[in-house]
Amino acid sequence: MLKTMLELGKIHFKEYTIYKSNFYLFTLNRLVEVIVYIFVWQAIYNQTGNAGGFSIEQMITYYILVVSLSSIATWGINEDMSHAIKSGKINKELLSPISYFKYYFGIYLGEIGFAIPVSLATFILCSIFWKVAMPANLINFILFLLVIILILPISFFIQMIIGTVGFYTNSIWGMQILRKSVISMFSGLIAPLTLFPVWFQKIANILPFKEFIYTPINIYLGRIEPNEIWIIIAKLLAWITILYLIAKIFFNNAVKKITINGG
Amino acid sequence: MPIIEVKNLLKKYKIIEKEPGMIGYFKNLIHPKYKEFTAVNNINITIEPGELVGYIGENGAGKSTTIKMLTGLLTPTSGQVIIDGLVPYEKRIENNKKIGAVFGQKTQLWWDLPVIESFRLIKKMYKIPENEYRKNLKKFTELLQLEELLEKQVKNLSLGQKMRCEIAATFLHNPKIVYLDEPTIGLDVLVKENIRKFIKDINKEKNTTVILTTHDLKDIEDVCDRIILLDKGQIIYDGEKQKFKDTFGNSITAEILLKNKKENITQKLYDEDFEIIEENEDNIKIKFSHDKTTIVKIVQILSNYGDIEDIHMKEAELEDILKEIYRGVKIC
Repeated sequence: MLKTMLELGKIHFKEYTIYKSNFYLFTLNRLVEVIVYIFVWQAIYNQTGNAGGFSIEQMITYYILVVSLSSIATWGINEDMSHAIKSGKINKELLSPISYFKYYFGIYLGEIGFAIPVSLATFILCSIFWKVAMPANLINFILFLLVIILILPISFFIQMIIGTVGFYTNSIWGMQILRKSVISMFSGLIAPLTLFPVWFQKIANILPFKEFIYTPINIYLGRIEPNEIWIIIAKLLAWITILYLIAKIFFNNAVKKITINGG
Repeated sequence: MPIIEVKNLLKKYKIIEKEPGMIGYFKNLIHPKYKEFTAVNNINITIEPGELVGYIGENGAGKSTTIKMLTGLLTPTSGQVIIDGLVPYEKRIENNKKIGAVFGQKTQLWWDLPVIESFRLIKKMYKIPENEYRKNLKKFTELLQLEELLEKQVKNLSLGQKMRCEIAATFLHNPKIVYLDEPTIGLDVLVKENIRKFIKDINKEKNTTVILTTHDLKDIEDVCDRIILLDKGQIIYDGEKQKFKDTFGNSITAEILLKNKKENITQKLYDEDFEIIEENEDNIKIKFSHDKTTIVKIVQILSNYGDIEDIHMKEAELEDILKEIYRGVKIC
């Protein structure tokens, strides 16, 4: 079954590589984002000298990692699903010999398979222009990777829930935008969470989005000790279970009520 | 044992009743009004393995809704569907492994990739054994003339080329049942013939059950042995194609060349067993049915009005019959 999913991922990845300019444009786009962030923060540091407990070197590394990770954290299958629902192409997906979840998880793997090289290229390109801090130590680096792997199913199940809403509303464009804004807000993508009000941080501590960007970067920078990480991993596993159940139950109910566009 | 069994199948849709104007739009947004609409009304169908069934009816008669319930894409409001021993909307994946489907212009091929990539993925997804895959691919390539298409990107194919690939993709895993929902829509005559022949060949060889919906009655005429005719969600005919023609299509049109005509025949002969459709200077078109009169009798009558030089007769085709049924001339 995993093999079939990987095949689906591979074919989706190949679709991306047909348009080779995609890769360069995505990466270039990320580079532009980094430049903007770094200019803003350099101006702030010139005034204050400190923000949220980060030194300017750490802040630069923070944003280079934010921009590198943002593809992995936000990319996904909602555009494909949305298109499939609107065009009625979803017929074929629901008639495939593997389940809808596995089908889209395969596609998701292909999407992430394309996001990873974009992330790496962004990171490498940025480290040519700016001084990027190396991971605090090997263990922290491994844990950094582990957290990133664990956010993938979370991101996937959230998108499956949104995609299922599309069975009822026919359009998930609005929810897709909302998903990205919520992730930007609570993940630390816009700014390190320590700069936000305490009540906001409390909410962010409960939601899984903090682990999309803020937590892995802090692990990378050595601002979180390895012995604090188990609680984070437990939190992520709990969220994976909860979101899986919601997504599955919601889908199983929705699929009985769907009507599919087109004659 | 029938492969498809449908009992008292009913599907009702709720549709939002739209009020006009901006105010109507916002009213709808807050408090939508629903109207119920019965798409498929209590139908019963039994199909044996290997049958080639034409499922026809006007636009909106409920054909696609039925097909969607048979494939498990839609859950019926009430009634029962059993496909090869399974309820398709309950055992979706198991059912999917045994069926194939083509839906009009919606493609299952990967738009940006060469056709062969889609075929390879299908092979992996359905776990088609290597030699079976090769055998089918070779045969389909030959029958549907895919040789030059396999390495081309799907987006660069013409409609006819794409549909040929689509059909091949659908039959690749040796499905027991194939649902073809308007597979020949928008295709030229040669491609249509090619696809029809392919369906017949595969049916003969693998005993594949085929349910075909179409508006091109040549498809039915060519491929199907049995017709199910649907009107307003109800079956109004289910039986052999030939019997359908015999029952509904016993009318014959004849064009008779009549020289030296003395007077207007239409005014004289209005109470005969045949109907005059058209009368011109030197010919006359009539319609009659075998159980009321014969061409010999008609010729005898008409010879009183001029010199008959030639007679052309034409039996009603499926299309003519359906036109009449759709117009409500005959309803059984």
